[in-house]
Amino acid sequence: MQLQSRIAYLSVFTAAAISLFVIESFIPKPAPGIRLGLANIFILLVLLSCGFKEALLVGILKSVVGSLIIAHFLSPSFLLSISGTIVSVTIMGIAVRYIRGLSLVGISILGAESHTFTQVLIASNLFLGKVSFTYLLLPFVLLSLVSGSIIGIISYWLYSKLERKIEIA
Amino acid sequence: MHSKSRYRPLKIGDFLIILFFLSAIFFLPRGEGKKIRVTVDKEKEYIYPLTEDRVLGIKGKIGITKMLIKDGRVRVIEAPCPLRLCMRRGWIRNKGEQIICVPNKVLIRIEGEQFDAITE
Repeated sequence: MQLQSRIAYLSVFTAAAISLFVIESFIPKPAPGIRLGLANIFILLVLLSCGFKEALLVGILKSVVGSLIIAHFLSPSFLLSISGTIVSVTIMGIAVRYIRGLSLVGISILGAESHTFTQVLIASNLFLGKVSFTYLLLPFVLLSLVSGSIIGIISYWLYSKLERKIEIA
Repeated sequence: MHSKSRYRPLKIGDFLIILFFLSAIFFLPRGEGKKIRVTVDKEKEYIYPLTEDRVLGIKGKIGITKMLIKDGRVRVIEAPCPLRLCMRRGWIRNKGEQIICVPNKVLIRIEGEQFDAITE
């Protein structure tokens, strides 16, 4: 891919990821900490079309700029968001690079689960006390299996639409 | 960069991953609880039975969290935190369910009668 079109795609994907992150924060949630992770769609697309470093950059930008917009910057939820993002992008990058036999759905589930795992680990160590770890983790593992599959299916569909265009550009 | 449609068809690895994480269902705690354990700021712990109805006031980091025990279930009825997520959580009654108040550092969890291996 040419440099100019790389820059253009990266900016569009970053803007889309940030917008989805912000819009998602306005949707009422059944309980705190439960979200679909729509921004992950575009992080996945960047991971596939540009590479790991770019995806990590988009993820960090999404957390920083997004939390500046919804005024969560440097709050506990910002800490959870950025650490979860870094870990899940790393895991997804490893999966894309080294694990064969996975489609986008599997990669997205891995990302969602590692995001959840990091957040529960940090939340239970910093804010809640270690005892809560297992009890919190199990329901969240199931929830993020659902959200990871949904996100995976959406990005699977989107990637099949965009694939040829991105490759040509 | 990547060969075309490498990520398109669903593959065997996807189902393995789904099955792996789905197995968490078998480890979920089940059944009605017998007592509640209230933890304040990771240190102080209080244990109350769920069998007798009463109102409890627990002093947390920024104020007093009031909770109500009634008919074997518990809910927070008054909290000093700004968002009051703990009050919106409503009643909890099953083993393993919990109410968490992050600003006040109060954690309420329902436990069974016997010693739970997962707890420690």
